[in-house]
Amino acid sequence: MSYTLIVAEVRRGVFEERNLDSLGLGALLGAQSVLLVPDGAYQVPDKLVDVVLKVKAAEEAYLNPMNMGKILEAVFAARGKPDHVLFTQSSSGTESAAYAAGLFGMPVITDVSGYDRDAGVFLKSYYSDKVFGQFKAAGAPAVLTVRSGSFREFAAEKAAAAAAEAIEGAAAVEARTFVEYVEEEKTDIDITKAEFLLSVGRGIGNQDEVAGYEELAGALKAVLSGSRPVIDKMWLPKARQVGTSGKTVKPKVYLAMGISGAFQHIAGMKDSDCIIAVNKDPGAPIFQYAHYGIIGDIHKVRDKLKELAKG
Amino acid sequence: MNILVFTKRVAATQEEELRITGEGQAVDLSKVPFKVNDWDNYSVEEAVRIVDKAGGSVTAISIGDAESDEVLRRAIAMGAKDGFLVETGEALHDPFTRGELIRGFIDKEKVPFDIILTGVQSEDDQFGAVGGVLAGLMGLPYASMVIGIDAVETDHVVIRRELEGGLQEKVKVATPCVLSIQSGINEPRYVSIMGIRKASKVERKVFKADGYEKGSPKIELVKWVYPEKKGGATMLDGELADVCGQLLGILKEKGVYQ
Ligand SMILES: Cc1cc2nc3c(=O)[nH]c(=O)nc-3n(C[C@H](O)[C@H](O)[C@H](O)COP(=O)(O)OP(=O)(O)OC[C@H]3O[C@@H](n4cnc5c(N)ncnc54)[C@H](O)[C@@H]3O)c2cc1C
Ligand SMILES: Cc1cc2nc3c(=O)[nH]c(=O)nc-3n(C[C@H](O)[C@H](O)[C@H](O)COP(=O)(O)OP(=O)(O)OC[C@H]3O[C@@H](n4cnc5c(N)ncnc54)[C@H](O)[C@@H]3O)c2cc1C
Repeated sequence: MSYTLIVAEVRRGVFEERNLDSLGLGALLGAQSVLLVPDGAYQVPDKLVDVVLKVKAAEEAYLNPMNMGKILEAVFAARGKPDHVLFTQSSSGTESAAYAAGLFGMPVITDVSGYDRDAGVFLKSYYSDKVFGQFKAAGAPAVLTVRSGSFREFAAEKAAAAAAEAIEGAAAVEARTFVEYVEEEKTDIDITKAEFLLSVGRGIGNQDEVAGYEELAGALKAVLSGSRPVIDKMWLPKARQVGTSGKTVKPKVYLAMGISGAFQHIAGMKDSDCIIAVNKDPGAPIFQYAHYGIIGDIHKVRDKLKELAKG
Repeated sequence: MNILVFTKRVAATQEEELRITGEGQAVDLSKVPFKVNDWDNYSVEEAVRIVDKAGGSVTAISIGDAESDEVLRRAIAMGAKDGFLVETGEALHDPFTRGELIRGFIDKEKVPFDIILTGVQSEDDQFGAVGGVLAGLMGLPYASMVIGIDAVETDHVVIRRELEGGLQEKVKVATPCVLSIQSGINEPRYVSIMGIRKASKVERKVFKADGYEKGSPKIELVKWVYPEKKGGATMLDGELADVCGQLLGILKEKGVYQ
């Protein structure tokens, strides 16, 4: 029987919310949906899938791509190969997806954000969402990683709770082992508490420009935050990063200057009450998410705002 | 320590308008400038730092057309000893095919290595898959989103992987292995034009991609499309002072500015 294998992402006892998007895509694909989870007390939405397949594995082992390879081997042996294997588009999801693709010779399409059932094509972002490619997998099973927020509305309740299945895990591999979690250092500024964020991106150009935006933030009584490249270049501290690998923020106003609007950034700020974007590129994807937009040079806008705010 | 680092020349499209041509057959990149993939800049730097401490040498490898020589010269200027170009004329959209090509090349040319570094993703296609596919194909241990390399020992490395929301995990990985490097892991050194000119004097070897085994692509690009328009923003128009005045008005209305 054909089926879709949905590899759940779990972390520190939590069934990650972005799994709902994998469940949604699973529903669209139409085959029997089988949710793979490690043994443990996870809150599994067992009405949204046909089968919950529990594997005896510790969480850290399950999240290790090399162990996941062994687990998939056991699943394929027990149930036959699925048509699709879905992972979350996340740090561990993409890691295991690509590795499994190489290991079993499976086609892989990452960051899938749309599916056209009639044409049988998957939509994948290119150039930070400026264009999308429509892809078809040339064989089965195909491995897909699913973009968070893209499919959750399609996850439909079934009439009955899922059937329970179980498999034995394999012995943990020694070639890669988990040591410990490392928490982010605590800092005095918490951008998640700010009502008004002025967020700067790579568009500010160089480090010397940062001071001018600090002044603007001061004049507007906003807190300064930034996109990943600004933090990577150490123009602002890590605690000020907005996005999937930084903080998720929901201020009253999010003023983005020189930020293009890559998915990893958008995911961290899209629920802000009011988003205002300033960018010189009229095609910047951020304008699709903003409530207000200004097309223009951010430095000129900065200087004029400072002048007006003083006056 | 022999380190292979994969570096790619990509279109810098962040500030460019992109046009899809024909019925969605191609994206017109003819007027777009090209540069080194941001992530690969970090991994070349990391490779050079490892070798500075542990000894050994760095080989930079690029797959692409003759123009990709540019990113090899750059890597050499940063401290790589060798630069290899695996020259291919055809578009390889499939990260799996790319992984196969790399494996075929390493096997056939018997390129020695202890660690293979790739970037987490390419800026252009953002597949983030080549490193993982390659490790799976070669049966090597793998870790991605590497944001810190804390120890390099003779038979293993201790690294930190970036997870979501600022959390990291420390992981021990046996060598030889494949690691995909995340941006921000280090501060890449500045490369001067003089440095690149000097690097051009170091011979770069060119290999023809046709010579290496790879299967047919496992995914097919059907067509290119523009993103679906969402609501879109209300654009503030007018003279600079006028636009900025409107912006301040919105801030007042939202109650975040008096
Ligand atoms: C695993 C992973 C996790 C990630 N996590 C995050 C994350 O948490 N947060 C995050 O932000 N990113 C994250 N990223 C990176 C993300 O993919 C993008 O690379 C990043 O968000 C781009 O930042 P940017 O918009 O500032 O830069 P760019 O994409 O380079 O955009 C710069 C923008 O500035 C504009 N501009 C330039 N000059 C001017 C000017 N003078 N006036 C007006 N506009 C100008 C340009 O038109 C352009 O739109 C992550 C990536 C990966 C792979
Ligand atoms: C519009 C468009 C047109 C394209 N046309 C062509 C074309 O004509 N010819 C062509 O060859 N490709 C072309 N490409 C690129 C090709 O589609 C991708 O390289 C392919 O999808 C494989 O993904 P990736 O390796 O870049 O992904 P990722 O997995 O995101 O890359 C991760 C890492 O793999 C390594 N890596 C990937 N590719 C290379 C490389 N070439 N050399 C060295 N290291 C590499 C780097 O370390 C990189 O950081 C085109 C892409 C687009 C968007």
